[in-house]
Amino acid sequence: MAYTRKNVSALTASERRRFVNALLEIKRRGEYDEFVRLHIEYYTADGEQGLRAAHMTPSFLPWHRYFLLELERALRRVDDSVTVPYWDWTRDRSATSLPWTDDLLGGNGRPSDQQVMTGPFAYAGGRWTVREGVTDRPFLTRDLGRARAPIDLPTRSDLDGALSDGVYDVAPWDSTVSRGFRNKLEGWGAGRGSASWRLHNRVHRWVGGAMLGGASVNDPAFWLHHAFVDLQWTRWQQLHPGARYLPEQPPAPGDPQWGRVIARHQTMPPWDVTPASLEDVSGIYRYV
Amino acid sequence: MVVGVGEVAIGGQRKETDGPTEAGPKEAAGPARPAGPFTRRGLLRALVAPAFALAVTPLVVASRSTHTTAGGDGQGAGAFDETYRGRRIRGVPVAGTRTAGGEQWRVTVDGRPLHLMRRADGTWLSVVDHYGSHATPLEAARAAVDALGPGEQLRRQPLAHGRHHHTGGGEHGVHA
Repeated sequence: MAYTRKNVSALTASERRRFVNALLEIKRRGEYDEFVRLHIEYYTADGEQGLRAAHMTPSFLPWHRYFLLELERALRRVDDSVTVPYWDWTRDRSATSLPWTDDLLGGNGRPSDQQVMTGPFAYAGGRWTVREGVTDRPFLTRDLGRARAPIDLPTRSDLDGALSDGVYDVAPWDSTVSRGFRNKLEGWGAGRGSASWRLHNRVHRWVGGAMLGGASVNDPAFWLHHAFVDLQWTRWQQLHPGARYLPEQPPAPGDPQWGRVIARHQTMPPWDVTPASLEDVSGIYRYV
Repeated sequence: MVVGVGEVAIGGQRKETDGPTEAGPKEAAGPARPAGPFTRRGLLRALVAPAFALAVTPLVVASRSTHTTAGGDGQGAGAFDETYRGRRIRGVPVAGTRTAGGEQWRVTVDGRPLHLMRRADGTWLSVVDHYGSHATPLEAARAAVDALGPGEQLRRQPLAHGRHHHTGGGEHGVHA
């Protein structure tokens, strides 16, 4: 029986509390920091050598889909009523809207040091110490909207621009491609500065603080953001019936991308799952 | 946009950290991990640890801005050493094979290692900012400083990025 993932704005007070409590519990058990480390370890950029499983690569979407499923399994071991909600940043667009409330993710960081002071993940609460951070700070940081040089969240129209591309991804399958749904959604744009920060990437920047760096998973906002990104893959499939993950076959030996991207039937480390096996997850969960 | 290149320091303008620093053992956290997908990584971590022990060597240089443009001094083109918004940022290209173009950099902010990665378009991103990139290592280092809070310092030990460098073509299995 498939469970549902809801818009965070649709959660009841009880559902919010149970979601937060499950996160705090897996943090207490040490499981949460494993997710932080895993995400760091699999961040290989496309100008580096080696296989790219998680970013700047076709498997960006299925890798993060499975990553969310793993987190969700951990949460559901604590409380089997919990699922990961999604944050629709095309609708909830301010630093005081959901999910930045005291009963969910807490609010913005304070100006002096970006420290999150409110909500269940505030350092003073004693239940959310950052141990796998980029910096020496043990507290969660945020800079919602990027105070020093403000930017806006992506819009519905921006999202539609990615969704309308009927091809999943194109060679050379990296952050430089200007066509294909995957890179448009991942958000590696051309040019410099604000114009080049798109969709998924732009949201990481809008949240700022921990979410901007290698240890972005330290902010639970990561999961709500990526659930919404994951939902876009499902929407894209509905908009383009029959369109599939690409590449179907691995690049040939001699191709610069040989051994560096994951084809549809190859497994994605560190797991034993293929992109093909994650294209239809309707038997596991569905978005409402 | 950030305006201006930070002032050139003549004699340290570096701020001391003013906040709590060490939160506790960095690697400790771990109560028993559930068996499953994560277990292999502990082993891998042990295997790659020596490579990361090759941490950034503090460079002893005068506290002033130097931007070399030629490689004649052995530091390579573009090496930099400046104070930007009160932070000492230094970078030198080093020999390496990790990046596609064969160019790697050793960059520090206030003496702490700042891990840089390269994109296929030749631009650079840092561990502080993984979701945007910059034309040069110097710009990436300045952008990292921009993102740090007052007194906030990078970790002494770099985070372990991209440890999973599978270089072979077929070592991840194929499931028909």
